[in-house]
Amino acid sequence: MTQQSAAETILAVENISLSFGIMKVLDSISFDIRRGEIRSIIGPNGAGKSSMLNVINGFYHPQEGSITFKGETRKQMAPHVAASHGIARTFQNIALFKGMSTLDNIMTGRNLKMKTNLFWQALHIGPARLEELENREAAEKIIDFLDIQAIRKKPVGKLPYGLQKRVELGRALAAEPELLLLDEPMAGMNSEEKEDMSRFIIDVNSEFGTTIALIEHDMGVVMDLSDRVLVLDYGKQLADGLPDEVRNNQVVIDAYLGVPHEH
Amino acid sequence: MTFFIEVVLSGLMAGVMYSLVALGFVLIFKASGIFNFAQGVMALFAALTLVGLMENFGFPIWLAIIGTIAVMIALAWLIERVMLRHLVNQEPIILFMATIGLAYVLEGMGDIMWGSDVKVLDLGIPQGASDWMLDNFDIYIEKLEIFAAGTAAIMVAFLAVFFQKTRIGRALRAVADDHQAALSVGISLHTIWVIVWSVAGIVALVAGIMWGSKSGVQFSLSLIALKALPVLILGGFTSVPGAIIGGMIIGVGEKVAEVYLGPFVGGAIENWFAYMLALAFLLFRPQGLFGEKIIERV
Amino acid sequence: MDQKEPDTDLDTFPKLLASHVKLRPTRDAIREKDLGIWQSWTWAEAAAEIRALACGLASLGLKRGDKLAIIGDNRPRLYWGMTAAQALGAVPVPLYQDAVADEMAYVLDNADVRIALVENQEQVDKMLEVSERCPKVEHIIFDETRGLRHYEQEFLHDYEKVQLAGVAYDHDHPEFYDREVAAGSGADISIMLYTSGTTGNPKGVVLSNDNVIITARNGIVREGLTADEEVLAYLPMAWVGDNLFSYAQSYVAGFCVSCPEDASTVAQDLREIGPTYYFAPPRVYENMLTQVMIRIEDAAEIKRKLFHYFMEHARQVGVRILNGQSVSLKDSLLYKLGNILVYAPLKDVLGLSRTRLAYTAGEAIGPEIFDFYRSLGINIKQLYGQTECMVFICVQPDGEVYADTVGTPAIDVEIKIDDNGEIMYRSPGVFLSYYKNPESTASTKTEDGWVHTGDAGFFDEHNGHLKIIDRAKDVGKLNDGTLFAPKYIENKLKFFAFVKEAVLFGDGRDYSTAFINIDLDAVGNWAERRGLAYSGYIDLSNLDEVYQLIKECVDKVNQDLSADSRLANSQIRRFLILHKELDADDGELTRTRKVRRNFVGERYDILVNALYSDKTECHIDTQVTFEDGRTGSLAADVRICDAQVFADSSTDQEAAA
Repeated sequence: MTQQSAAETILAVENISLSFGIMKVLDSISFDIRRGEIRSIIGPNGAGKSSMLNVINGFYHPQEGSITFKGETRKQMAPHVAASHGIARTFQNIALFKGMSTLDNIMTGRNLKMKTNLFWQALHIGPARLEELENREAAEKIIDFLDIQAIRKKPVGKLPYGLQKRVELGRALAAEPELLLLDEPMAGMNSEEKEDMSRFIIDVNSEFGTTIALIEHDMGVVMDLSDRVLVLDYGKQLADGLPDEVRNNQVVIDAYLGVPHEH
Repeated sequence: MTFFIEVVLSGLMAGVMYSLVALGFVLIFKASGIFNFAQGVMALFAALTLVGLMENFGFPIWLAIIGTIAVMIALAWLIERVMLRHLVNQEPIILFMATIGLAYVLEGMGDIMWGSDVKVLDLGIPQGASDWMLDNFDIYIEKLEIFAAGTAAIMVAFLAVFFQKTRIGRALRAVADDHQAALSVGISLHTIWVIVWSVAGIVALVAGIMWGSKSGVQFSLSLIALKALPVLILGGFTSVPGAIIGGMIIGVGEKVAEVYLGPFVGGAIENWFAYMLALAFLLFRPQGLFGEKIIERV
Repeated sequence: MDQKEPDTDLDTFPKLLASHVKLRPTRDAIREKDLGIWQSWTWAEAAAEIRALACGLASLGLKRGDKLAIIGDNRPRLYWGMTAAQALGAVPVPLYQDAVADEMAYVLDNADVRIALVENQEQVDKMLEVSERCPKVEHIIFDETRGLRHYEQEFLHDYEKVQLAGVAYDHDHPEFYDREVAAGSGADISIMLYTSGTTGNPKGVVLSNDNVIITARNGIVREGLTADEEVLAYLPMAWVGDNLFSYAQSYVAGFCVSCPEDASTVAQDLREIGPTYYFAPPRVYENMLTQVMIRIEDAAEIKRKLFHYFMEHARQVGVRILNGQSVSLKDSLLYKLGNILVYAPLKDVLGLSRTRLAYTAGEAIGPEIFDFYRSLGINIKQLYGQTECMVFICVQPDGEVYADTVGTPAIDVEIKIDDNGEIMYRSPGVFLSYYKNPESTASTKTEDGWVHTGDAGFFDEHNGHLKIIDRAKDVGKLNDGTLFAPKYIENKLKFFAFVKEAVLFGDGRDYSTAFINIDLDAVGNWAERRGLAYSGYIDLSNLDEVYQLIKECVDKVNQDLSADSRLANSQIRRFLILHKELDADDGELTRTRKVRRNFVGERYDILVNALYSDKTECHIDTQVTFEDGRTGSLAADVRICDAQVFADSSTDQEAAA
């Protein structure tokens, strides 16, 4: 959480509009994310937060507007292309490979870091083996970082919810992303798990310098972690600014913060 | 006793053939949730291509095999391009219908390209009874069947390592598990589908070679796909070992039933035994022997 | 037994280290699992690390007699910190790593710590939190850099940088290290260990090199330990047992110590290392057994039957086989079959397949639990010890192991029972003093070196083994004059897998009553198998069926007590199941997880009063502390249940005995 006022813009979203049929999900949204910052997107349920993330990583293709990522402007990109350009993400409803072990899930996150072709892979010798070992080490560092050594070999489908969230973060980190999209990483967690997760997010940001876009409902967490906060409401952009500015913005208070929320 | 063993063994060997076809089904079903009706026809198509390349173009065996593999990969690519890509996120039933269409297209193409008469496939795979088995154990068993079993075993071992220990294997499992998550880690579904269909194509080629060597390459070959269905119900749609063991159970079951029960019900048990067994499984254990949550999953 | 005269020149740890570098330079001294792989350091490599660190500490100003605090999980670098300090004649002071900052502040200040060597950011944060209250702490050295990148305090040092500075210092002062090591002697202070204490502030037990090394060597001689032992260092470094088993005895015998990857992976690491020499407090053995039982209950029918059949056989003959007694050929063969099918795989799962010697101590262990392990062929023995004498007072001799005694005096240990029934001892391990606390020293240790244990006990007439009943000060009386030994009864209750903790009341009262904590795993599993729905601990502990289950346990204990005329009147009349688990963070348990009975009694006085009334239910509102330090409240209606009381049956028992 360092001041990044002069930092370059890693992602700029301009006038994005997205509709499903007659439902307008995002209405001309524009904002930017600076390299190295933690950028939160908040808003009530149905505000379009997750849709915004889905647009950024290419799951949704907006009807209007453009996205500039690392200087390249495009209208849309395929999810695996977004991933290969350094965007990784987690999901609101955990999307892990449930039948696979923690280690395999994280290794899958290394997918783009591994380049050997099908031929070597099929034989499982030579460069493919060496590559496998190198990436295993990288995966182990993430396991160590997230303190999940004890569940290394366990199938993730059988893990408790909080740990699954952690493994999902691990899988995203394994790609060594430049931009990490976290969709409600603390949903459904108890206060202790939330604190752990906050710690990890801060550490990811400060240790690896990863830029983070965060959707979160817990206002305490958002205000503590974020450098800047974007507020959405029914697909419209309500406010954008420093946590304190947003907190004191009357429109935001009326629309959102005024409503009692869990804390 | 020897006779019984002979029956069981020949059942096992026939079962391996079923297994090979079922394996192709499982691969595609696991990775894309598509029930590929055309798997049997793919085996036929592969065998036809192989024979065609050897007879019409005079390719030596090894070149013909490589050529056929190339054709199967090209086919996988085409299927992805022309069919799958446009049907993303459609209902399973629609994808299933598409594969029925694919089956007819392939059958037609095979007919147009290589003709519809029965062809002999001779790859120099040893034929006839195994003397060694006959001499030592007094058991009659065909060399081809031993060869088929060995090939199937090697292929399964190979696939197991490939799936468990390699990046692409992991990616295949990842896609099978959760499409969205797989996309988010940079796995391209298109590439994975091409790979899966290619692997299924190669498995089909092996199955085609085995069946073709045994009974000649003919269009009834595509019907073995129907036998693979009970195998899948038995073994579970998502389990590679399930496909293998399911195939063997069906193979042994129908042979034993034919020989020992056949006389009492007037024979031809072989034709319907597999389906009865599958029906029983559907009633009592719908996920199959090794199948995963697929059915329980909400 | 090894009759070789010990080398008395090797009277400090740095000197022992140097001797291993000569004797076995390429053998592993210490291991640690990191990034999923066991990394190891030979004695020569460890010695080089220690030398660099010692010189680095010297360059930061650590001098003879100074104190170095060590805080963290078991890590090679932290163990090296101990030896490095000792090389300089400084004194390592390990602290409990899970203590909250406040608790640490007291020890840091009391021990006059100048430098702290800590594991990671978590510990650094705690140190910074209390830095104003501990002005004597000048430097903090951290092992793991993660999260500390943006900490800019000048007194914070990266471990590796300190070592680099040490290498430079060594280069400039080449004789320094050897000279400092040579200056050390057996009479020097080796280490200060703070006892957690059930009341008051912790006290720093000052132990000399002679105390530690001679006691460690006596233990090795008695059990015939060698340089080939494998040990897993997983208990807190601040605890005397870890210092003895994972540090002192490793240095004396020359065996390798392995540090687990993480506190959560100990069970897996145990399996991978397969220790030959193992220590665990009773609760660890209990937990292992509970886990096994849960898994067996969930296993397939055939497996379960096989397990129960062979465990029953082991119960009958296993202990005799372990004790070297003869059994019939059939039993012996059946036991061997059982070993292949059940015992060996089970021991492998537990990580105890190579264990030649397993100790337990600290609290009484349930006889069923004890016999379970022994019947599997694991030589688990109880010992009786204290921080004040570097552990060993009594050890059970091989082949003479009884669940209700703690064995015979360890080598060079004298024991006597004073007039109040309190056990006293004298040994070469007896501590020098409590740090800066002459009053406590004088009240604990007599002028001729006898130490009050604070435990009440006696020697068994038949086998000459020491038997411990209770804490001397805890043994009280009911109003009718009946002896009230709460811990004795609590332990009986805790022998049931369903009972996690029990707290007895009765001193100065008309009758005995109890608080029970159920074991969430065991009772939860029990409830699930019966299809009982519950939403959490409180809900579970309030179920009728659970009350009935616990009542049966209490009744059995009462029946047991009724067999002893001195205790028959102290049978539990009424009990309740507590609505929350007793927790060290709430001060209800000590850091070593012993119940603080008085504290619990005061905290829940409403409930205690209810137990001594005729109420059948009592409402309570409790303040609880979460792990992040915040507090909240927990309200519940706790039910009170009467237990069955049995007539005094001691006369029959005596006749039978």
